[in-house]
Amino acid sequence: MKYLLKFLTVFLSVGMFVTSCSDDDDFNGGTPLGDYENGILVSGEGSLLSGSVAFVSVDLTTVETDIYAAVNGEDLGNYLQSIGFEGNKAYIVVDNTNTITVVNRYTFEKIATITSGLSMPRHIDFEDGKGYVSNWGDPFDPTDDFVAVINLSTNTVETTISVGNGPEQVLEENGKVYVSHKGAYSMNNIISVIDIATHDVSSIEVADNPDEMFINDAGQLVVLSEGASLYDDDWNYIGSTPGAITKINTTTNTVISSISLEGTYVGLMAYEDGKLYYINNNAVYVMNDSATSLPTTPIITLSAGYAYGLSVDDNRLFVCDASFTGLSTLYVYSLATNSEIATFEVGQGASKVYFN
Amino acid sequence: MNKGTIVLFFWVICGGVFGQSSLDSLQQLDEVIVRADRNLKQFSNTQHVNVLNDSTIKKSKSSLTDLLNFNSLIYFKENGLGMVSSPAFRGTTAQQTAVVWNGININSQFNGQTDFNAINTLNFNEISVRSGGGSVLYGSGAIGGTIHLDNTTEFNKGFDTNVMVRYGSFNTADMDFKSHFSNERLIADISANYTFSDNDYKYVDSERRNSNGEFYNVGISARFGYKINSKNTLSYYGNIYDGERHFSLILPSETKTKYRDFNTRQLLEWNGIYNRFLSTLKVAYLTENYRYYGNINSESYTYGEAKTLIGKYQLGFRPFQDAYLEAVADINHTIGEGSSIAESERTITGFSILFKHQIDKFLYEATLRKEITNTYESPVLMSLGLQYKFAPNYTLHINGSRNFRIPTYNDLYWAGSGNLDLKPESSYQLELGNTLLFENLSFSVIGFYNDITDMIRWLPDGSVWRPDNTKEVVTYGVETRAGYEKTFGQHQFKIFANYGYTVSEDQTTNKQLIYVPYHKASGALNYRYKRLSVYWQTMFAGEVFLLSDNNPRYVLDGYLINNLGIEYHFKTLLLGTQVHNIFNENYQSMANRYMPGIHYNFYINFNF
Repeated sequence: MKYLLKFLTVFLSVGMFVTSCSDDDDFNGGTPLGDYENGILVSGEGSLLSGSVAFVSVDLTTVETDIYAAVNGEDLGNYLQSIGFEGNKAYIVVDNTNTITVVNRYTFEKIATITSGLSMPRHIDFEDGKGYVSNWGDPFDPTDDFVAVINLSTNTVETTISVGNGPEQVLEENGKVYVSHKGAYSMNNIISVIDIATHDVSSIEVADNPDEMFINDAGQLVVLSEGASLYDDDWNYIGSTPGAITKINTTTNTVISSISLEGTYVGLMAYEDGKLYYINNNAVYVMNDSATSLPTTPIITLSAGYAYGLSVDDNRLFVCDASFTGLSTLYVYSLATNSEIATFEVGQGASKVYFN
Repeated sequence: MNKGTIVLFFWVICGGVFGQSSLDSLQQLDEVIVRADRNLKQFSNTQHVNVLNDSTIKKSKSSLTDLLNFNSLIYFKENGLGMVSSPAFRGTTAQQTAVVWNGININSQFNGQTDFNAINTLNFNEISVRSGGGSVLYGSGAIGGTIHLDNTTEFNKGFDTNVMVRYGSFNTADMDFKSHFSNERLIADISANYTFSDNDYKYVDSERRNSNGEFYNVGISARFGYKINSKNTLSYYGNIYDGERHFSLILPSETKTKYRDFNTRQLLEWNGIYNRFLSTLKVAYLTENYRYYGNINSESYTYGEAKTLIGKYQLGFRPFQDAYLEAVADINHTIGEGSSIAESERTITGFSILFKHQIDKFLYEATLRKEITNTYESPVLMSLGLQYKFAPNYTLHINGSRNFRIPTYNDLYWAGSGNLDLKPESSYQLELGNTLLFENLSFSVIGFYNDITDMIRWLPDGSVWRPDNTKEVVTYGVETRAGYEKTFGQHQFKIFANYGYTVSEDQTTNKQLIYVPYHKASGALNYRYKRLSVYWQTMFAGEVFLLSDNNPRYVLDGYLINNLGIEYHFKTLLLGTQVHNIFNENYQSMANRYMPGIHYNFYINFNF
């Protein structure tokens, strides 16, 4: 009976996917694609526990802390860095196990695991049947870093493209793959631009340790650089370099403008409807696309002990309060009222929020 | 040296299960067994000390974890068989157990703990477990208790050589060579051992195997003693440990890593007995060196390297009958550096006063120590113990002490994170013990309470993690031990059983610490008939929480492990075999780190 149900679920899911549009619509005409179709996915890196994915229903009424293990009876391993979505599949990137686990994004049933050709994989994005995955290689070796190109029909690494040290987030736009270089265990200050057609790599210099990226409503690439800690030859901490929020023209691949984060540490950023949200000093700030300086007053003061993930969707803001010894907490805020509307217990080391 | 003293020593050494070694009285000044750590016996009358002798050591696997798992109430979490192993002694953290080599604390300067799978027990002929605080005597980390690795020996024993070879499942082997020579003036002991294992055991109830778990280690120990004249003796103790372990994988796609340890320990001691005075001058030099290879296919590694030079002078004095006073001055200088630690020096000077006095059935001992160092403010350490023999069979003891754990090199100097404002962790503890001793039977019950403040923990601070002194933990519990020994004609029986109940509660959350079971038990039965012996060892560890919020969904189940061994004794030859985990229990002491099911070994021991 269980298998029959599973079969029917898969059958219906596939059927629905083929017949419905491939958009991430919340509504699909009434037939569910899977248990986890309508809601929020929160990935946890893991630490004492395995990396995991939690599911929160879109109406914020239910939560399930480890849906991959519940469905598949196995763990994902440590440390779950990120999830990429393409079609009806989710690609779960786990760095220490050197794997990408491919699941149906709505049922979370495992389809395949990519186990070879990856080395400390971090993030994935997609274009034209291919996945592009940033890989650190040996985190202490700045010369062996690469982007793996995955053939999505065979789930194998087809080729690799050598890039600079510490590639982090990956974002496809206009036939180019943009890779932010946070520098693995050291530091870096470039965005690599990979031409998908030729695999040629060029780079754009930004402030130290670029991490999060998005394309804003004006079609510009926005990059958050966190800044880097500096040490002398004797490993004494001697200060840090300033981060920045940098806008890049994706046609010319040149910097348009940059707002320095001198004296301000920002590690988390999110974007929706012309507004950029970031967290500084445990408070959420918002700025418009046209802003040329940082806002001075926050919209929300957080109660999180360790804000480790930030996302915005549908006028709701999500903050992961990560615990590496217990379970983490997901805080949900309404951006209409700038007030907390729900909290959920999610996986250990919760770091990313996605919307299904 | 009277016969009574010899019998007394035999009692203490062999009667480890009988616990309370209170009978040693004040015979210290003319001991027959030569040991570097005299105070382990001199000042442990009001605490429990369990001495494990050579034959017990050889009945366990050669890791310190395996020996103590089956012979003490300490809980161990192991990252798989032979991998990193850390203790929870009376509910404390891994850094709150001090490991002491011939009287010298050898916990790592970098992380403040000892990896119990990086100590090969075959290097030592006597291993003792001393429960409760001991910072006055043994320094930092002596909060839950101390583990003593000793090379004891005797004058005038002639020539004796011992060779042991043990081979078993997973291509695991131990080879041990020990040679002893002593006459009236000279002692020369040399030992060498080599242990290796493929360690590729199959998981119980699974098709998977432990992968990348292979390890080897080599140990060399030497011990020399020279009696210059009837009053003065010179001694040397040396130990080299060189080991390499591949770290086993949780999932087979993980990058393979490995870890190397290279440690050396040397101690030179000059002992003089002048009437009522006992003078001891010690110089010790320790090195520790680890290298972690994040990818075994790469030459790159991270490392830590520390060198410690210790000078110590102890002057003992017997002011009147049945009293002993000792003053100690010592200096400890360490230079350490590592991949993320700039070369840093630390000098600690310490002064101690120790006093013991027996008045008929009443004994008390009091100790006091103050350390001075440039890096942090050190608390006054102390202990006070009282013992009263209410009846020939019944002894009561009370012990209270203040102990500490100093910040480690990682805590203080880690690049970008180290906190130079840290204080030492501080512990106040109290225990009350009852011991019943009959001809064949011993029984003891000890209750303890331990309040540990200023505990160092690493917390996120912006983009980095930094240590601070914010945690407070209270541990308390009860330990019971029973032993029975009887000979009927040719049949000899020895049995012991230990059970401990331990609460270890974070005072902020009122939750039990992770990986501290409420229940732990161990026991053994030895039976000998003529030349044949059979022994059974058992160990139970209760359920542990995996998360600091004690979420009941995330626990590791308890487990009961049983081993069986058979030995046959020829004149100079001993043949034996052991079956470990005879009921093929599927267990983990760390989440996802599966331990082996049933496995075997065979051993031969020559003595000539």
